Amino acid sequence: MKDCYLGVDIGSISTKGVIIDDENNIIVSDYIWTEGSPTKAATKLVSILKDRLPENCVIKGIGTTGSARKLVGLLLDANIVKNEITAHAVGTLTFYPDVRTILEIGGQDSKIIILENGIITNYAMNTLCAAGTGAFLSSQAKRLGIEINDFGTYALKSKNPTKIAARCTVFAESDLVHKAQVGYLKEDIIAGLCKSVVLNYLNNVAKGKKIKTPIIFQGGVSKNKGVVKYFREVLNEDVIVDENGHLMGAIGIAVLARKNKIGKTYSLNVKNIKFETKARECLGCSNNCELLKVYKNNELIDSFGSKCGKF
Amino acid sequence: MTKIAFPYIGDYHVPAKFFIEKALGKEVIMPPKITKKTVEIGNKNSPEFVCSPFKYTLGTLIEALEMGADTLIQLGGGCRYGYYAEVQEKILKDLGYNFEMVNLINNGKPNFLGIYRKLKKISPKISIFKFIYYGFLTSKMVIYMDIIDSYIRENIAFELEEGSFESLKKLMLLDFSKINNFKELKNKFNYYKEEFRKLKVRKPNDFYKVGIIGELYTIMEPASNYYLEKELAKHKIEIKRFTNATYLLFEKKRFVKKNIKHVNIKYKMGADATDNIIRTQYLCDEKYDGIIHIKSSFCTPEIAAMPIISKVASDNNVPVLFFSFDTNTIETGVHTRLEAFYDMLEMRKRK
Amino acid sequence: MDKVGIPRNIFYYYDKDIVETFLSELKIPYIVSPHTNKKILEDGLKLASDEMCLSFKIYLGHINYLKDKCDYVFVPRMCNLGSDNQMCTNFMSAYDIVNNLFDIKILNYDIDYDSKHFLKKGLFKIANELKCPSGKIRKAYKVALKTYKDKKKREISINEGNLKNNKIKILIVGHPYNVYDDFIGSSIIKYLKQNDVEVIFSDRFDSEITNKLSKKISKELYFKFSKENIGSIIYAKDKIDGVIFLSTFPCAPDSLVTEITERSIDIPNINLIIDDNASFAGLETRLESFLDVLKERKND
Repeated sequence: MKDCYLGVDIGSISTKGVIIDDENNIIVSDYIWTEGSPTKAATKLVSILKDRLPENCVIKGIGTTGSARKLVGLLLDANIVKNEITAHAVGTLTFYPDVRTILEIGGQDSKIIILENGIITNYAMNTLCAAGTGAFLSSQAKRLGIEINDFGTYALKSKNPTKIAARCTVFAESDLVHKAQVGYLKEDIIAGLCKSVVLNYLNNVAKGKKIKTPIIFQGGVSKNKGVVKYFREVLNEDVIVDENGHLMGAIGIAVLARKNKIGKTYSLNVKNIKFETKARECLGCSNNCELLKVYKNNELIDSFGSKCGKF
Repeated sequence: MTKIAFPYIGDYHVPAKFFIEKALGKEVIMPPKITKKTVEIGNKNSPEFVCSPFKYTLGTLIEALEMGADTLIQLGGGCRYGYYAEVQEKILKDLGYNFEMVNLINNGKPNFLGIYRKLKKISPKISIFKFIYYGFLTSKMVIYMDIIDSYIRENIAFELEEGSFESLKKLMLLDFSKINNFKELKNKFNYYKEEFRKLKVRKPNDFYKVGIIGELYTIMEPASNYYLEKELAKHKIEIKRFTNATYLLFEKKRFVKKNIKHVNIKYKMGADATDNIIRTQYLCDEKYDGIIHIKSSFCTPEIAAMPIISKVASDNNVPVLFFSFDTNTIETGVHTRLEAFYDMLEMRKRK
Repeated sequence: MDKVGIPRNIFYYYDKDIVETFLSELKIPYIVSPHTNKKILEDGLKLASDEMCLSFKIYLGHINYLKDKCDYVFVPRMCNLGSDNQMCTNFMSAYDIVNNLFDIKILNYDIDYDSKHFLKKGLFKIANELKCPSGKIRKAYKVALKTYKDKKKREISINEGNLKNNKIKILIVGHPYNVYDDFIGSSIIKYLKQNDVEVIFSDRFDSEITNKLSKKISKELYFKFSKENIGSIIYAKDKIDGVIFLSTFPCAPDSLVTEITERSIDIPNINLIIDDNASFAGLETRLESFLDVLKERKND
């Protein structure tokens, strides 16, 4: 029998899952769209992984990360629940022990992590809004009538990227529509968008951070060749994109699940678990907290959102 | 019949209410503390790109007017905060409310006599003696509250019985509001100081110390910083915070004058910008594990200070986490960043 | 002799006539950065914090342009012109920001009437720093002040003259460093002029009069330049057809001042907030429809 560890990274747009062994080999991995329902997505994904898992593997640890980490952590009975910044760093360090800079642009968040001798020394995340992230690019692709997966290929065709403002979704959209109507080439507009995502990221998220090599770019947007190209161009450095870049969070949390294993063996039979959440506004005091109660197989197992700690 | 109301900031409504009742002999309306509803009505009626304290305080004032307040007090200064009162008055009058607005501080500069004259308008019978006596008594109460608060900040993360510090503080505030003179206040303060020391704490040998700096309203009103201090306490972090009413009223001027030579800054950069650069240097020198800078979105003086704070901290190899809070900040986002901050501190220490 | 670089932004539009004349009189060589261009803007965006107002980002771009083209860059500090006449905090912090972000020598003085730091003292200070013969400084100051006052007078009389015009008249209410900046205000003014509009400028009135008149809109306002801006609306209100509020994102004083002013006046107005990515196309649509409204009203 082989000990294995499951890591699930539940993001706003996609849910990623991976199962690794003691030597960090990826046994199975996959990702699906979250579609606004993190528990459903996680259940579906874990079932997919389970069906593909070789019979000699036993799960000795489960970790969850990403924006829905707590909820899905309860669902899967995870032995570790960690934020995505730490998970990404740990995952990346597993394959690139001397990485100094991690650039990450995901669905709604973007972040930069600075590392030294294998530890995080500084990091930052986007503050203002989701401008310049995956969700932003998808909505712009839709406006231009292009599949998001073809975005990068289009961008690479351009010789003369148009200047597009990506600082704010609303402003950017009107700018984009206008440029398209005036008659700019589609590939130039797309290349312009990719470039502005890079500039916006460097001017906002990465402001004041010293970007040193090796630099690794990951997150959903790292699949976009246009953005990668402009990162390389603007930074004038090599920027590494790993084919498993989108899985780094899941890998990281799987590694952490191994490090924190409690000797228990887990079943991946999650399909039949009845998992419910009920939200209500508490009128117990003037905080009016929005309470979220979590039920597993009709049993109340946790509640979130209380400020007074009564629940 | 005059019914007075004012915006919330931390727990200072306790001494404020005390002063108005005792010195002016007027009734105080206490609207609910800042809730989601407060934020909603504040947002709806505020200019779009104003800093968030405007939105929070406007929401509270509307709730107070709905409860029958007819006199509103606002104060502030150092930046556009000092101009809130008049704009809020205009917005509220346009909404159809009938009330008197009193801005205690003109041009952002507190002035003892000016405040007296303004309060005399609300309560013509107030004597200068009463004003001075209760002015000093209330100031003393504020100073005592701040002393206790600093102790709480250093220890609450390590309390053995969950909630022990908070519930004792509630009792203290209640007792403070019932005192009549300096002697009673002093007795209560000494009593609670002892009681707080009696609360059991267990500080491990190795724990993290973090300094919180930034814009004053966001620092002092926990609803506006998404209860940041509480979150840090959950992670067993000792907190050093400089900004409180005592600092702003009595220490700020001297602090900046005395310490500006320790940093590469020549002038007062507006509001607490220079103060925060000095504090950054202090926290680095004192070997704090990290710094958290918080402010409301669009806070101009702090935006000016941020690149310099970043530089000072990075020269000293101390991590800084910047938060720019708005009324629609997503709380889980705050928690994620804090968790990562904690993980980072741990990794750095283990190095 | 040492060369001084003057950034063409923020302070420039208030003190250019005084400072430039003063330096010329003392035969101190100086250069002024060019009108804001794409490169200056982009450099400014790179250097500035994300949340700084666009005007200040541009200012840092100008400093960057000058940094290796002169011996000193001129960065004053302005705190107040008396306690009722405060500046935006960016005017107070500019020196320290520039001093920390750039490795350059700075020529600086402090205007803070509350602490008795007046312009005269400031100019004398920089002249001494540049080792000018002290006998000449006094005269240079006098000439500079006179040049400034004469120029101001001329501007005011042109502005007043334009108010008597029969064309559609629009008062632009904004800070001069935005109104006259090539990236921010120029295209708007050009558009208006092309469409046969007489453009009136809020900063080209007698500031003592406009300062006082601002009380009719706001009693407690203490930002000097904002006061003059809104005072000009009261001054000109019977002679103009509309008002355009022009500011950059996110201007601290204007976020409140424009709000209270819009609520207090009954003249047609629009509020244009310029960000680094504002395309003129969006502005044009708004300006065009605003002009249509004004024309309709005029014909009635």
